[in-house]
Amino acid sequence: MDIAPYALQLFSGLSRAMVLFLLSAGLSLIFGVMNILNFAHATLWLVSGYVTYSMFTFLSQQFGASPWMLLPSIVGAVALMSLLGFALERFLIRHTYARELPEQLLLTFALVLILGDAIKLIWGVENRRINLGVKPIEMMDTLVNPYQFVIIGAGVAVAVGLWYFLHRTRFGKIVRAAVFSRSMVSALGIPIPLIYSGVFALGVGLAAFAGGVFLPLLPMSLGVDHDIIVQCFAVVVIGGFGSMLGTFVASIIVGVVYSFSILFWPDGALAMIFLILIVVLIWRPWGLFGTELRY
Amino acid sequence: MTQSDRKWDKVINDLKLSRRDFVFSSVAAGVLTLTPRFVSAQAGAPYKLGVLLPSTGTGANYMAHCIKGLPVAIAELNKRGGLLGKHQIQMIYRDTETKPDVGAREAKSLILNDKVDAIFGTYSSAVALAIQEIIHEHKVLHFAATSNSSKITQDNYTPYTYQFCPDSNMQSGAVVVAVAKMAKKNGWKSYVSLGQDYEWGRDTHKGFTGSLAKVAADVKETRQLWFKLGETDFTSYITAIMAAKPDFMFGAIAGKDAETFLQQAGQMGLFKRVPFPGGLIAVNDLKAQRKTLPRGMIGLARCPFFAHLNEPIMQAYIKRDRAAFGADDYPDDWACMYYDALGGLEQGAKKAGSVSTEAIVKALKGATIDTCRGKRTFRDCSNQLEVPSYVGEVWDSPDYPFPIYKPDTMVVVEAKEVWTPTCAEVDKLKKKRA
Repeated sequence: MDIAPYALQLFSGLSRAMVLFLLSAGLSLIFGVMNILNFAHATLWLVSGYVTYSMFTFLSQQFGASPWMLLPSIVGAVALMSLLGFALERFLIRHTYARELPEQLLLTFALVLILGDAIKLIWGVENRRINLGVKPIEMMDTLVNPYQFVIIGAGVAVAVGLWYFLHRTRFGKIVRAAVFSRSMVSALGIPIPLIYSGVFALGVGLAAFAGGVFLPLLPMSLGVDHDIIVQCFAVVVIGGFGSMLGTFVASIIVGVVYSFSILFWPDGALAMIFLILIVVLIWRPWGLFGTELRY
Repeated sequence: MTQSDRKWDKVINDLKLSRRDFVFSSVAAGVLTLTPRFVSAQAGAPYKLGVLLPSTGTGANYMAHCIKGLPVAIAELNKRGGLLGKHQIQMIYRDTETKPDVGAREAKSLILNDKVDAIFGTYSSAVALAIQEIIHEHKVLHFAATSNSSKITQDNYTPYTYQFCPDSNMQSGAVVVAVAKMAKKNGWKSYVSLGQDYEWGRDTHKGFTGSLAKVAADVKETRQLWFKLGETDFTSYITAIMAAKPDFMFGAIAGKDAETFLQQAGQMGLFKRVPFPGGLIAVNDLKAQRKTLPRGMIGLARCPFFAHLNEPIMQAYIKRDRAAFGADDYPDDWACMYYDALGGLEQGAKKAGSVSTEAIVKALKGATIDTCRGKRTFRDCSNQLEVPSYVGEVWDSPDYPFPIYKPDTMVVVEAKEVWTPTCAEVDKLKKKRA
């Protein structure tokens, strides 16, 4: 039996999984800590992609074209978008904490439209892409894109980094504590509003990182955020809102199941994902790694 | 350049960064305000033209040049006085978001609230089929020039719809002509299909497989893969195609999905292993992917400007668009077809001697019109314009800053070679309408 096709499908599934994880991590974090369902998360990711594109173009013009220009472009975009996230939380999001969920959704959906039009005004409607000149490499008698290793590596690095941050740093521990009891954290004299701003900025920063990392693979185009946000929600619901481990595992489940479905049952690939979602919602409404308390 | 011209240029420049409905409506109104000296003394009522195209969603990148180009073409026509020299065209733009429900809603709004006389659009066949019901009910003239499911002019036929684009059967038929030749030459026996899982994708695939089976019965399809519109990650599809080890692949992919697929497939080396003849590679793809499109790849186009450089209408069109948008901004297939639609409207009104819908519908029936693609005739039974499809090899030309189709490889497949052979067959497909 030739296992190469299955191994390659697993590889492409893992690559897809890390794409989903990088996108969903910020969404899950923001909901887990702040109880805000940020519908504009994928749109912020899209804006980040455009910002990275502009920085990459600028740096390439100034210092000569090189794939390595992507690194400072991503760093710059993450910094800029994190600041934007901080400002958004301060001036918009925090006014909705006491409001009902539909109002939060309306506000963040309004952001989707506003940011979408802002993209149109700044970058126009043409798709934006960068070309790193990556050449395919041979693996198991077929060809693969080596940049997929970068995507998988970036996904794992972010997962490890987030774990370290949440479990080994003081700020991370405060964030985890805030997930369970805001009032207790507040009673200890820790400024919850600042924590919230920081978490929202971090979530947007993660989206910005994802936007930059995907840019060599995916042309940035209007509306792509609408296409991808639904799958992000599926990942976060399956994994459990607020659980990074859950988001990571759910991304792998969704990515790998989708990839193998294409091999065995292509017509039902997307249906398989939502079938898993339905089963999880019935069996464990709080998600695979979420907690009942949170639910 | 006069002050009025400068003002007009500013309007056009602003348009590039426009916000959909408001700005386009304003520009159309601006055309009327800024060019009074061109309006004939016996000016008639303005002719309201609704334009339903996406500036968001999967078709946005294909429609960008079209959306910015139409106001320029309309302004030029208005400078000549408008339709019949006295009806200024007032363009009202709406974004369909490439969604049938949004398209239907906007079509209704254009007809009932804005009282448009005609509608140009849409990009997606699913949207076109949705708005056709409204078009037929309200008896509004409809020019389709990019949405090209064969159902638009056959199964869902309405006398108010005219088609300026080769339909999906004609396009897949053209690919069949090219693929059959290559299959014979290269000994190809198997292929995998990858398509967008919606009306156009399925329709194009059906047309291709049916036609190929007739001319190359020994070439078999071994797999079908369908993906949802707006797919962002094709890696799993690409590895699945490679795993199937076909002799070639067929694709029914358009819009931004085509761009994403071509980019990711190129990076994964798919085309080094699996030839992909006849994928839709329009002028905008050639421009946008100038650095990454594999040279030698066989593409399919609908209205590439470089195929008709001898046509005076095409020459004037290219000159005007380059002057308006920059020397490198050649019009793409989609803009070219909507430019022909505008020319069709002008010629239809002239032939009818009226701008009434019924008169134009009657005048265009079976009419021959001048287009960017030469003189072309509408088919009596379907209102399908007799336009060719173009298949050719992607090649670096010294004359352009992007690749085009290599002239000596380009096959121009005429409509009559590939469309539904007889009107009796077309009539059988038409659904009964009230």
